[in-house]
Amino acid sequence: MQLTILDRVDRVADGVVSLVLRGAAGELEPWEPGAHIDLALPNWLTRQYSLCGDPADRERYRIAVRHDPLSRGGSEYVHLFLRQGRPLEVSEPRNNFPLLPAPEYLFLAGGIGITPILPMLRAATRAGAAARLVYAGRSAATMPFTDELRSSYGDRVTVLAEDEHGRPDLAALAAGLSPRALVYCCGPAPMLAAAEAAFPAGRLHIERFRPTPRTFPPNTAFEVVCARSGRTVPVSPEESMLDALTYAGLPVASGCREGVCGSCELTVLDGEPEHRDDIGAPAGRMYACVSRARSPRLVVDL
Amino acid sequence: MTHALTRPRRVPPDEVLARLGEPEAMTKAKIFDRIDQYSRRFIAHSPFLAMATADAAGRADCTPRGDYPGFVKVLDERTLAIPDRPGNKIADSFRNLAENDGIGLLFLIPGVRETLRVNGRAYPTDEPDVLVRMQTEAKEPMLALVVEVAEVYLHCGRALIRSRLWDPASQALAAEIPSPGEMAIGQLGLDLDPKLIDSRLEAGYRELY
Repeated sequence: MQLTILDRVDRVADGVVSLVLRGAAGELEPWEPGAHIDLALPNWLTRQYSLCGDPADRERYRIAVRHDPLSRGGSEYVHLFLRQGRPLEVSEPRNNFPLLPAPEYLFLAGGIGITPILPMLRAATRAGAAARLVYAGRSAATMPFTDELRSSYGDRVTVLAEDEHGRPDLAALAAGLSPRALVYCCGPAPMLAAAEAAFPAGRLHIERFRPTPRTFPPNTAFEVVCARSGRTVPVSPEESMLDALTYAGLPVASGCREGVCGSCELTVLDGEPEHRDDIGAPAGRMYACVSRARSPRLVVDL
Repeated sequence: MTHALTRPRRVPPDEVLARLGEPEAMTKAKIFDRIDQYSRRFIAHSPFLAMATADAAGRADCTPRGDYPGFVKVLDERTLAIPDRPGNKIADSFRNLAENDGIGLLFLIPGVRETLRVNGRAYPTDEPDVLVRMQTEAKEPMLALVVEVAEVYLHCGRALIRSRLWDPASQALAAEIPSPGEMAIGQLGLDLDPKLIDSRLEAGYRELY
């Protein structure tokens, strides 16, 4: 964890505030576009927010938060109760949405999904790539950073407010997509689903805020062998691997607890995990909050 | 145990009030009929409340409710919602409210000597937009209590000051209390190892949501 001070709170659109977090002890951990941090709120909740400032600014992180009317306590707290000057703990940046090198990019952002895309667009443009952004939102007033985007990138940015222009025509964008371009998309679930339908899987990179609703085979019991501590922890069908490890006194860091943030990543040394996350675990890794085991035993580096 | 030979004397209501004297004007003036920004901030930081209800015959219950700070949602300045997390399933409060919808709440914040009192009327709901806001560890409660607020006020801190409730040294008291298993075995006259009951209770505590 890193200690920061909440330096600024600015309203950047209807229902959206931007927070600037300054490192309490100087420089903060470095990050790459697409990265997010866990923000530990005073009400004991931890929430993940994409970094949307400039990675070259080593003293500050910037995030932006939309007040969800059905907030489970995170965004409501940020909007109503968080006060400037308050010390806040944040995690080291983690990147489940890295920007791969390419000569051309199409960025698609929906609403507050603009946050990881902002530094991506800046990095792609600085690297000399041909980068284009299509930024959709419910209405112009609810869309943060549109002025900043227009002044920096001009006609490479298309802003589409749904109440004026309707939704973006992803099929047309896909038809006109250069064969050399990669597509990065972050936004609400319907937009991600539309992007998955429109673009070829190998060229589309997406980031979710919430898990996709899916059904899984019934939970089975399994054992987790913790290679470093030598402990073996049984996981019953009624509990998550994360909870079983925590109750056994082998606490694993956790964030969203729904397979989207990656805080609880574990290295798997043996056995076959059953991945249930929305991140796409790299080989040899798993997320203990949602994922389970196909084999009766998993050996993890813990 | 010793038995009192006579019931303690009952003081008539008017005599009680006469002895206590009149509350200060300020005390009365700060009883509000809605949740203002200050009460809202208090509720947003409170992880615990005591909830009082009574049935039609006046048989009363007071039960604890707790979760992360702000677990009680403020729906608007006249309405709160309290999640009904898994508990003992005796459902005293729901049974009482079915007959008598009056409710009294006392919110506590660790470290704060003053408490927030909210009184009103309550009913159970399964409104999805309310339950979704209470999702914790990916689980929603099955029900929530909607509280229609009539009175809101900050209660002075004397009781908490006298009780040293937030003084860490006060936790030494816990060592003087038998474990739940020891109590159950004594109360029910069971021939069992109390650790058996205590470990089953601990296992049950793993399922908090």
